[in-house]
Amino acid sequence: MFEIGRLCVKIAGRDAGLKCIVVEVIDSNYVLIDGQTRRRKCNVKHLEPLDKVLKVKKGLAHEDVVKELKKQGIEVKEKIKRSKRTKEAKTEEKAEIKKEITKKQKTLKPKKQKRPEKKKEKTPAKPKKAEKKAKPESKPKKTVVKKAEAKPKKTPVKKAKAKPKAKKTTKASKTKVKTKKK
Amino acid sequence: MPAGKHKSRSMRRVYTKLTGSKVVIHYKKRKPSKATCAVCGAALSGVPRERPYKMQTMAKTKKRPSRPYGGVLCSKCMREKIKNV
Repeated sequence: MFEIGRLCVKIAGRDAGLKCIVVEVIDSNYVLIDGQTRRRKCNVKHLEPLDKVLKVKKGLAHEDVVKELKKQGIEVKEKIKRSKRTKEAKTEEKAEIKKEITKKQKTLKPKKQKRPEKKKEKTPAKPKKAEKKAKPESKPKKTVVKKAEAKPKKTPVKKAKAKPKAKKTTKASKTKVKTKKK
Repeated sequence: MPAGKHKSRSMRRVYTKLTGSKVVIHYKKRKPSKATCAVCGAALSGVPRERPYKMQTMAKTKKRPSRPYGGVLCSKCMREKIKNV
């Protein structure tokens, strides 16, 4: 059943549902498979045979297996291996990132220099503001007069209110003092 | 005596040993029911039985088996589904 070149579907594990061919028969129970799955030893129970058998040599290399499967209309996606990053590589990456940031800042700085130029354009407009300021100066005079009028009115009222209170407190304090003396 | 809110068995009781050989009851919320296969209803293995706040902190690889239909179908039902396709 599981002869060399047999097309199979893997049923178990993380490669389940992927197609492969038998490359080598190791045992009555085990075969070597390759294709969309990883190239690995596999139990026959974990394979579901399909009806096609490819004419293939024993122990075919992975690249040739990919070509054979392509003829059958089965494309194999090559996994990109992640290289382990060493400490030196990490430090280099960080340095590169810093350089990029500094470059960006340098490019941004000239833009900032443009802003002061705009301010210079505004400077001729300043005298207008001065004129505007001159107008409000006249207003405060009126307000000062009003305040001056308002203040004296308010103050006597407060005093009037404050005085009776003071009297009351004094009376109460006197009475208290008397009681204490008794 | 337990507090009134702890008299009902809605909270699970956990006996904890303190230093000084004291045993105290801690009241904790009950765990959710087991995850089951969508086809046959069997309990799924490899899926932890924890409260959602703990599931959030866990890695994705720890929450379900890394195979097609992992965490949804049991392995038997998954195999049959692949065979039929």
